[in-house]
Amino acid sequence: MAPLSFVLTHAWLIPAIPLVSFLLVGLVLRPVSERLAGAVATLAVATSAGLSWLLAWDFLHLVPHGQPLPSLTPWSAMWLHFQDGFGISIGTLLDPISVMLLVVVTTVSTLVHLYSTGYMHGEPGYARYFAFLNLFTFSMLGLVLAPNLVQMYVCWELVGASSFFLIGFYFEKPSAVSASKKAFIVTRFADLGFFLGILVLGFYASQIHAGMTQDLHGLQPLDFAFLTRPDVLAQLAGLNVHFLGVGVLTLAAVLIYTGGAGKSAMFPLHIWLPDAMEGPTPVSALIHAATMVVAGVYLVARCFPIFATSGEALTVVMCVGAFTSLFAAVIGCTQDDIKRVLAFSTLSQLGYMMFALGVASFAHPLGYSAAMFHLFTHAFFKALLFLGAGSVIHAVHSNDIWHMGGLRKHMPVTHALFLIATLAIAGIYPFAGFFSKDEILAAALHSGHTVVFGVGLLVAGMTAFYMFRIYFVTFWGEPKSEHAHHAHESPWVMLGPMSFLGVLSIGAGFIPIPEWVQLPGSPAEHEGIDLAVAIPSTILALAGISLAWLLYGGAPDRANALVAKLGRVYTTIKAKFYFDELYLYVTHSLIFRFVAAPIAWFDRNVVDGAVNLSGWFTRTAGLLLGKLQTGQVQTYGSWLVSGAIAAVVVLWGVLKAGGN
Amino acid sequence: MADFLAGHAPTLTHWLVLTSALFSIGIYGMLTRRNAVGVLMSLELCLNAAAVNFVLFNRYLAPTNLGGAERLDGAVMTIFVIAVAAAEVVVGMAIFVAMYAERRTVDVTRLDALKD
Amino acid sequence: MLANALPTLVFYLLAAISLTLAWSVVTGRRILRAAVSLMGVLAASAGLYLLLDSPFLAGVQVLVYVGGIVVLLVFAVMLTRTTELLEDHPSRHRQVIGGAVALAFFGLSYCMMTAPAFANRALTALPKNDVAAIGRALLDTGENGYALPFEVVSLLLLAAMIGGIVIARKPAALVKSEAHHG
Repeated sequence: MAPLSFVLTHAWLIPAIPLVSFLLVGLVLRPVSERLAGAVATLAVATSAGLSWLLAWDFLHLVPHGQPLPSLTPWSAMWLHFQDGFGISIGTLLDPISVMLLVVVTTVSTLVHLYSTGYMHGEPGYARYFAFLNLFTFSMLGLVLAPNLVQMYVCWELVGASSFFLIGFYFEKPSAVSASKKAFIVTRFADLGFFLGILVLGFYASQIHAGMTQDLHGLQPLDFAFLTRPDVLAQLAGLNVHFLGVGVLTLAAVLIYTGGAGKSAMFPLHIWLPDAMEGPTPVSALIHAATMVVAGVYLVARCFPIFATSGEALTVVMCVGAFTSLFAAVIGCTQDDIKRVLAFSTLSQLGYMMFALGVASFAHPLGYSAAMFHLFTHAFFKALLFLGAGSVIHAVHSNDIWHMGGLRKHMPVTHALFLIATLAIAGIYPFAGFFSKDEILAAALHSGHTVVFGVGLLVAGMTAFYMFRIYFVTFWGEPKSEHAHHAHESPWVMLGPMSFLGVLSIGAGFIPIPEWVQLPGSPAEHEGIDLAVAIPSTILALAGISLAWLLYGGAPDRANALVAKLGRVYTTIKAKFYFDELYLYVTHSLIFRFVAAPIAWFDRNVVDGAVNLSGWFTRTAGLLLGKLQTGQVQTYGSWLVSGAIAAVVVLWGVLKAGGN
Repeated sequence: MADFLAGHAPTLTHWLVLTSALFSIGIYGMLTRRNAVGVLMSLELCLNAAAVNFVLFNRYLAPTNLGGAERLDGAVMTIFVIAVAAAEVVVGMAIFVAMYAERRTVDVTRLDALKD
Repeated sequence: MLANALPTLVFYLLAAISLTLAWSVVTGRRILRAAVSLMGVLAASAGLYLLLDSPFLAGVQVLVYVGGIVVLLVFAVMLTRTTELLEDHPSRHRQVIGGAVALAFFGLSYCMMTAPAFANRALTALPKNDVAAIGRALLDTGENGYALPFEVVSLLLLAAMIGGIVIARKPAALVKSEAHHG
């Protein structure tokens, strides 16, 4: 292996630069100059992106072509040292998936920063927005580079917090505030599972760690490199400890998966993602489409050996993923808000990645590579879709697709780029989505999960349908509102980043990610395009497009007739299967009444009572002691002399006692 | 009579009781006098008692042959005490005069600005 | 015999005078009389110094304390003369507290002073010429000398003098307005 280059050993610079910029912009530049703040923030992330590209280049050339890429930790430092054999370090872990995600995050983040300088122009809180974008970028990069579960958890919460800040960016809007709270609480709730998973895993892993005799080169129990060692996993799987009939390894994996499911909005924790669209559109593109929401997928991929050893946990991942992808696709067909349709399509695609991981195993590792490949391509075309939607919303001042229409004449560049992204997500050759989707379906088929394969095919068709539905309604037909009539093309500072993403949406499929990203220790299983999968999926996609054209290509009479015929089914789907209402019922009527209300009573009467008592005590004592403060110098003198006498008496007593 | 007196010559204890009594009277004055000058006078009583004590201890307790010469550390200390007392009275008097010019009183019970 | 009896007699006499006058210093109704009593106490102390074979200290006591400090105090009394304080009546409350504290102090020191360690101490020898000895001690820069404290005290006196002038002098505005009217 070649010696490590500067960027490889100093990979920590990549998250550090946005952190420094966050502090600089947030604390120093924000009150000085809004424009400068935006420029510095963008430049910082662009620097990180440049370093990431360099790093990726160096990383790919570490080993001769054809050999599996290594996994290294070029820098790490002990952060919390509890005892010998149990500490927590911080560091940078470089392996194919972290390097891939580094590139994705910094690239999309840079483009979104650039786009935002145009999109957010003139908004109040412009500099605050960029500060939080920087914070998010830092946290996400820290998460990606985390070599152990604890650093990942810390950054995991940091991305959650920055997501909270950015969803609630328009904090004067009540809907934005409640959306940000919803996102935070739901993901926080899920993170509780993640945390418990870390505790369970840490408890047993540290025992195994203590019992190991060979040299571990300073590996700590919670390091991924330790947890994914085959001998450690074998010991964990062999533990005869059960909880609710589930083994330790499965329990830990499922708990960790809960955290991942919350962040990646898997059913039934999906409810926060559509509401998160209240944030500014570039934020939706960066956080809620391209990067943060894939953290859950990344987490499962990071811990894949744990899941694969458990087996049952992987089945959970597969089932939930497949169900979510279908469920979200069904809802996506009925929504009218362009960003919500995109949000549901994100859900659906995340489900795709999850079930791709779920069908993978040590024997059939293709799903693992496929999930990462789809994560890679999806980041670009979904970011492009959101930025395109942002461009449209910027022009039309509405999120409702029925207020748009005919925009292809007014906004030709946006239209062309949106079409590219739509084709990419629909999985049409040669756009990026085709390759990764094909890979996922092939993985499902070849590993023998026929039902999942069927669901995947169906979802591919539905994706094409609902994406082209919004495409046709938005860009074709007649303008359906005043704003749509007078829509103008967005400025180049917005179109530039979009064009770049457009190029990536076309070309990303040709980047041989599956060749680079291989499950360590498993046979390579990449065989290019499989016609047995590609032909039916393309046919279904084309069918979906045709159906969309049939129903929405012209006047929406046919669509309305169909809606009328479907009746209740349609309204149920459109109301997202009443899941929000169900949650509201559970939280308000059950949890609030039977759990929260008694706790509130306890808090008001017992806890507050104790607090008030201590307050009363302090007040009374203060009043009484205040009487000593007479201002009479002679009273003070009396206290002084009495105190001196008392001190001498005590001292004398002590000396006497000591003398005897 | 003379025999009785000669037989009851004051010992160190007697001396110390006397100075303690003087000091205690000084404390009483400090804590009860309303006139600030009176308080200062009481303070002088205390200082004086302490100064006598220095000489006393010098006469009764001092190691006589430190370095081969008789020592007078207590007497030197008494001189310092007198000097410091002089300095203190000068400043104290100045403060009272200034206070009188400002507040038209030197009654310490009415000078209670420390309360606020 | 008389030579042995006399110091004892003088001691008790001086002690009685000191205590009586001290009592009148702290309780006397008229502050000026209290000042005179204080002078008496200090003079009696000078006598006590003589009894302790320290004639130089007795001289210093008379010169500085009686001649200087008490005069200064009398000045202070004159300059801050208020009709309300011609008669100094402390409140009963304060008398009780002050008395209790003073008695407590006296009780404590009595317990300590009558400790056996002090009971039977003989007088130590003194240098022949105490003035010369004190002078040497004050200017001795050696290990047991007092040259540095001596200089510090001289600085203190200077500072007190300047401080006294600065504090007691009338504010400039007041001087100006008086000059205007005068």
